[in-house]
Amino acid sequence: MRAETARYLASRLVTSALIVLGAMLLLFALSALVPGDPAVTLLGPQATPEFARQFIREMGLDRPLHERLWLFLTNVLTGNLGTDVLSGRPVAGMVLSVMPYTFVLTFGAIGLAVLLGVPLGVFAATHRGSLADNVLAFISVAFIAVPSFVVAILLLLVFSIWLNWLPVLGAGNADDLWDQARRLILPMAALAIGWVGFIARLVRSSMLEVMAEPHIRTMRAYGIPERLVTYKYALKNACIPTIALLGMGVGRLLGGAVLVEIVFARPGLGRLIFDALSVRNFPVVQGAVLVVVVLFVVVNLLVDLSYSAIDPRMRRGGAAK
Amino acid sequence: MSIDIGRRQLLAGTAAAGFGGLALPDSDASAQAGPRSNISVRVERDPEVIDPGFRTGPHDGNIIRVVYQRLVRHRANSGELEMDAAAEVTQTSPTIIDFRLKPGQVFTDGFGEMTAEDVKFSFERIGLEPAAGGRASPYRGDWAGLERVEVTGQYTGRVVLARPNAGLMAIALGDVSGCIVSKRAVEQRGVEHNTRPVGSGPYALAALERQRGATLRANPTHAGGRPAFNEVAVRFIPDHRATELALRAGELDFAVLPPSVAEPLRTVPGLTVSEQPGLQYIWMGLNMEKPPLNDIRVRQAIRLGLDVDQMLLAGYNGKAPRLNALIPAPILGHWPEAPSYRRNVAEARRLLAEAGARNVRLKLLVLNQPAFQNMALVARAQLQDIGVTVEVDARDGGGFWSAGRGDAGRDIDMYMTVFNGKLDPNFLMQWFVSSQIGTWNWQRFASPEFDSLAERALAELDPARRSAMVIEAQQVMDRSAAFVWLTNNVSFLAHRSWLRPASVPGWLDWQYDGFATA
Repeated sequence: MRAETARYLASRLVTSALIVLGAMLLLFALSALVPGDPAVTLLGPQATPEFARQFIREMGLDRPLHERLWLFLTNVLTGNLGTDVLSGRPVAGMVLSVMPYTFVLTFGAIGLAVLLGVPLGVFAATHRGSLADNVLAFISVAFIAVPSFVVAILLLLVFSIWLNWLPVLGAGNADDLWDQARRLILPMAALAIGWVGFIARLVRSSMLEVMAEPHIRTMRAYGIPERLVTYKYALKNACIPTIALLGMGVGRLLGGAVLVEIVFARPGLGRLIFDALSVRNFPVVQGAVLVVVVLFVVVNLLVDLSYSAIDPRMRRGGAAK
Repeated sequence: MSIDIGRRQLLAGTAAAGFGGLALPDSDASAQAGPRSNISVRVERDPEVIDPGFRTGPHDGNIIRVVYQRLVRHRANSGELEMDAAAEVTQTSPTIIDFRLKPGQVFTDGFGEMTAEDVKFSFERIGLEPAAGGRASPYRGDWAGLERVEVTGQYTGRVVLARPNAGLMAIALGDVSGCIVSKRAVEQRGVEHNTRPVGSGPYALAALERQRGATLRANPTHAGGRPAFNEVAVRFIPDHRATELALRAGELDFAVLPPSVAEPLRTVPGLTVSEQPGLQYIWMGLNMEKPPLNDIRVRQAIRLGLDVDQMLLAGYNGKAPRLNALIPAPILGHWPEAPSYRRNVAEARRLLAEAGARNVRLKLLVLNQPAFQNMALVARAQLQDIGVTVEVDARDGGGFWSAGRGDAGRDIDMYMTVFNGKLDPNFLMQWFVSSQIGTWNWQRFASPEFDSLAERALAELDPARRSAMVIEAQQVMDRSAAFVWLTNNVSFLAHRSWLRPASVPGWLDWQYDGFATA
């Protein structure tokens, strides 16, 4: 069993490394294809041809693609993500400075979504066909359908402007935790709302599927209390697809919360990439995207490994039915 | 702002969220609060490099202007120059400017007193070729003609030019490229000086955080007096709508906004919205080399086929003033009698027929910003009436700004763009000389007459003669019909009513140290 797990883990690690490599290869290829001269875009009319050439040389963009990729990867192995040619700041430092904001926002939003979505999904499944189930279905789909930046503006209008309960912008004072927490509430809610809908719908359908399985009927026949059947046995099995969704969710939000970050003027990895890409600041884009890809792969690896902890059948190589 | 949640408020909030359509309140407690010792202002780009030689744009320049001193500087809300670090600046000949520093001006972080050596180092690192392996400043053009700076004493020196430069005072000495850094600090801190600058200006940079902005704190060692506010929080907020909400909520004191976002703020008590003419120049350029636009009659037809006022109505809600030539009113060489072309479809059709241009199909390249896209759509509809089919090619900044470079520029038909101006005519004219073809002269406008006038105007120190040359140069541009001038833009300032913001005319170059209570 241990050997099997080790083999599985090793194969997953190799796959993960290949995914990271593939993603970077794609990124480098795209950066060569995207129109726009970085020197001109970054510097505007001041970019004389001589200065533009110097700038391109400093960015390493005058080298062949494979050489740039090789140089980038060998630097990464030594912990060097490159240098922002504009400010001379190390990209690793820039990424590290915004990463806490992204982590707090992403995990906070996903945590909030689980906290609301799972109970709603269970409630809908246990009250199938009722008015409450139908209302929840409507609300869930509405939550999924409304883009997070629209929710963000609406939340700002209501809670910051009209009711004046919460601040509008920024991530708060660095040495004031209370201020930071208050400024996190609205962006977190804006991001979480869509995922509440997703999770509620998924938990409901998984629960209904599991509740119809023979072992649940058997438990009921043995007189095990319904509460125990629902929350201890059915919910545990129904959680597996939800965990997969959460893995995807965390991965997506790590780099994809950019619209909410823009609306709330919060620092974050998504915004770092967006801003850098819009001015073709490729060293920053490459460094930040690599971090997002690695985080995405790691989170999904952890999610995959967690299946076997939840469902022993996985450990034996079988599929969860 | 305290969190005090009452039942009624909760119900009100829930109901509002449910209905979606919200009537915003006209009053807000914090928005009406009185003057404070700290203010927060919004910028649209993240401050990057607080070093005058390697700044990345006007947003960096606005911070640099208060962190460092110059020999001379612009008065608050004025184009006039006054002494700053210098006690005296004298143009002793067309190519020599003598200066004498005020004694006792010290740099922050213990880097000592400013001397003429610092001035020499500051000017030459931008204006001269760097030493081998050194990095050239992209702003070298601001110091066009600089030969050397001589140090004649601890506080005295001499700027020596190879040829006269009439724009030197406004473009270099009095602006960001004339900011004086500490030689010792730059050499000691190296690249770190970009983000940990050492200056002697009215404010010191207290913090520079990626994606958050900068914090400026009044510099207690500044010799020129204390600014009105102890602290200026320069906040990077990319989204206009979020900026509007922050102004309403009282979290922000000053911002420049597009007309459509700023207008509704007029009704908010405690806020003032005002319009200021800009110093940018926005125009539509026609590639003079590419058929059929290489025929002047086709270019003239296009100019007559367009209704600029209608385009401005679509792009700027009609709030931006029309521009009829390159140089706007506050700058020397403004041409008040420049022709204001009116739409004449019949004449445009006649010109096209005379040129034998049938089924003309042209591409119009624009930035993917609402104002440009809206104007492009109007232009497309108007040119359709004269028989010219236009395809609008809207690109993001990266794709747009590279389009006219090198040989790629030969393929451009028409484009619409914006350049930032300064209070000197040669700064605006420099992009249209022949040597800029393939760089920034996307019209590929090659006029020896214009080149000569631009060169002579730069060397002419007599304002009246210089003005005449600049006007003549604009007439040459007008005769080419390669330019359809649109506007020099308008800035909508939204700020607390107790705050009086300050800028060099044009609202590109802000003066944080000139911000005061009204």
